[in-house]
Amino acid sequence: MSAERHDMAGAAVGSHDFVVISNEQVARDTYRLELSSHVSWGLMPGQFMNFEVPGDGSHILRIPLSFASCDLRSSHVVIYYVTVGEGTRRLSAMRHGDTSTVVGPCGKGWRLPEKEAGRCLLVSGGIGSAPIAAAAGMLAQAGISYDVIAGFQTAARIPQRLLDEMEPLLADDGRILISTDDGTQGFAGFTTQLMEQLLGEQSYDCVLTCGPEVMMRGVAALCAREGIACQVSMERMMGCGFGACSCCNVPLVAGGYALCCQDGPVFDATEVAW
Amino acid sequence: MVSGVSMAVNLGGIKMRNPLNTASGTFGNGVQFEGFYDVGATLGAITCKGVAAEPWVGNPAPRLAELGNSAIMNSVGLMNPGVRGFVERYGTYLAGLRERGCQVICQIAGHSLDEYRAATELFEELAPFASGFEVNISCPNIAAGGAAMGATPAAAAEVMGAVRPLTSRPVIVKMAPHDVAEIGRALEAAGADALSLINTIPGMTIDVRTRRSRLARPTAGVSGPAIHAIAVRMVWECAQAVRIPICGIGGVASGVDAAEMILAGATAVSVGTANLYDPTCVPRILAELEQWAQEQGVSDINELIGAFEC
Ligand SMILES: Cc1cc2nc3c(=O)[nH]c(=O)nc-3n(C[C@H](O)[C@H](O)[C@H](O)COP(=O)(O)OP(=O)(O)OC[C@H]3O[C@@H](n4cnc5c(N)ncnc54)[C@H](O)[C@@H]3O)c2cc1C
Ligand SMILES: Cc1cc2nc3c(=O)[nH]c(=O)nc-3n(C[C@H](O)[C@H](O)[C@H](O)COP(=O)(O)O)c2cc1C
Ligand code: FES
Repeated sequence: MSAERHDMAGAAVGSHDFVVISNEQVARDTYRLELSSHVSWGLMPGQFMNFEVPGDGSHILRIPLSFASCDLRSSHVVIYYVTVGEGTRRLSAMRHGDTSTVVGPCGKGWRLPEKEAGRCLLVSGGIGSAPIAAAAGMLAQAGISYDVIAGFQTAARIPQRLLDEMEPLLADDGRILISTDDGTQGFAGFTTQLMEQLLGEQSYDCVLTCGPEVMMRGVAALCAREGIACQVSMERMMGCGFGACSCCNVPLVAGGYALCCQDGPVFDATEVAW
Repeated sequence: MVSGVSMAVNLGGIKMRNPLNTASGTFGNGVQFEGFYDVGATLGAITCKGVAAEPWVGNPAPRLAELGNSAIMNSVGLMNPGVRGFVERYGTYLAGLRERGCQVICQIAGHSLDEYRAATELFEELAPFASGFEVNISCPNIAAGGAAMGATPAAAAEVMGAVRPLTSRPVIVKMAPHDVAEIGRALEAAGADALSLINTIPGMTIDVRTRRSRLARPTAGVSGPAIHAIAVRMVWECAQAVRIPICGIGGVASGVDAAEMILAGATAVSVGTANLYDPTCVPRILAELEQWAQEQGVSDINELIGAFEC
């Protein structure tokens, strides 16, 4: 199967300059970066960009980051990220007016469900809420109603600014439900537990999810049980981000591997060998 | 050729418009870079990803780690769609590159002599666009074959001996980073037209919290700027030992890096890992190399091959 997935995608990926508009801390270890770049012109919800972060050359790989929203008129792109290591820490030191380069748009993003499909449920864990916000924007624009479950470890890690940015996109009957693992805000427990509860009250035709792999595996299992279509946004260490190195393999049910950066990051949950 | 320096080189019968090539496995099959620059108009040659007679799925995830000392480590394990799948997907594109003056080197992978033969025969039959072949006897990331097939002079010569009668096109052998003089001599005697070195250096990276490898396999291949000095030394050692041309590979990220390879004895130079983190680097490296040749006061880059003075 791996062979079949080796297609010619990626030809449209390019290198673009970007300039930092703002880069602010919005929650514990969590930042909101707004940049201006022509990469915005081709960017689709769920796609990602591979960032060159200025440094001393010790860490050579770029940092793959998804985006939460993108404004074509201003060429502004909004990114939410968590500082977990050297690259993201250096990114957090970038200031208004700083410049660097970004490779993108990378990969295949969220697929728009059929409008007739009815109601969608978006489930995010941690900073997975960023690409989920882009999915929310996509659904809102298409006039598809949805609810959101956004799970975090603890209240201090909740980027309220991101939730505020999602709020106006909701339909009148749409809801954003928060869960925290330690119960410091919203539902106490895992997103999958909250999702199970929600599935008892409301029927959904499509689920879009991004977060830690264990969480997405749980979401995919619930969807399989209930017969709900499910898209998952996978994460991998990336060498290039555009199909040149085969480093970002995702195991497939059909056997072999797909490349996360080229065939994904968004996959149909039933394709992935969890 | 703004500088007036002739940049054309001959890599064992593969006539390149300039010395720049790409290291197998770090450049997709060229098409992935078309959004960054005009591949066909820029490179002297491209070397495609290693391909076997039948598809290989490669190793489990994770396959990649950032080492934090200007190096990365990979254990891709030659994931490839087999010669038929490769030609189906990339044949038309690669034939186009060839027409535009960029040579196309197809890399042959195998687990056994029979598999190397089978892949060569299929390439001969299906890939008229190939300017030549590179036989990979140095992949550290596969259980059988790969580096094991190139571990000794006799074993390396045996692979070359198996492939040689099957093609009249130029054959390059991709060497592992050890015993390069001895193995290089054996490959030359077995009919290799050129040598390329080095492949990644086997290494380990351990997550000390979990005590597990950071990759799905305990060992994997180290590449990137950190290995450059080692690669230059090996190119120099090999160049002393053989008369056939060498393609220098290892941590090349600038014109200076490429120039070092040429002075150490390389006829061509491949860019590897740098393509991944800096996909626009090749045109820049080429311009820097050309400027260096001009500053050296030569009219032909060939005058600088092996011109290292010790
Ligand atoms: C398609 C995609 C989209 C992403 N979008 C976002 C986003 O919108 N916001 C965000 O905060 N993060 C996102 N990530 C994760 C982000 O790329 C990593 O957190 C980042 O690369 C870590 O780099 P570092 O140098 O700071 O950490 P390192 O020092 O390199 O590593 C620190 C820790 O992070 C892990 N890690 C490193 N790289 C990755 C990676 N590529 N994927 C997963 N884990 C990694 C390491 O294994 C290690 O445990 C995304 C990843 C992918 C693949
Ligand atoms: C992700 C990756 C995949 C590779 N795949 C191959 C391969 O298929 N065949 C091969 O001969 N070498 C392969 N290599 C090795 C490179 O071609 C090159 O020899 C090595 O990386 C050293 O050069 P560099 O430091 O410039 O990358 C691979 C290297 C990397 C990083
Ligand atoms: S990161 Fe290089 S192929 Fe996906």
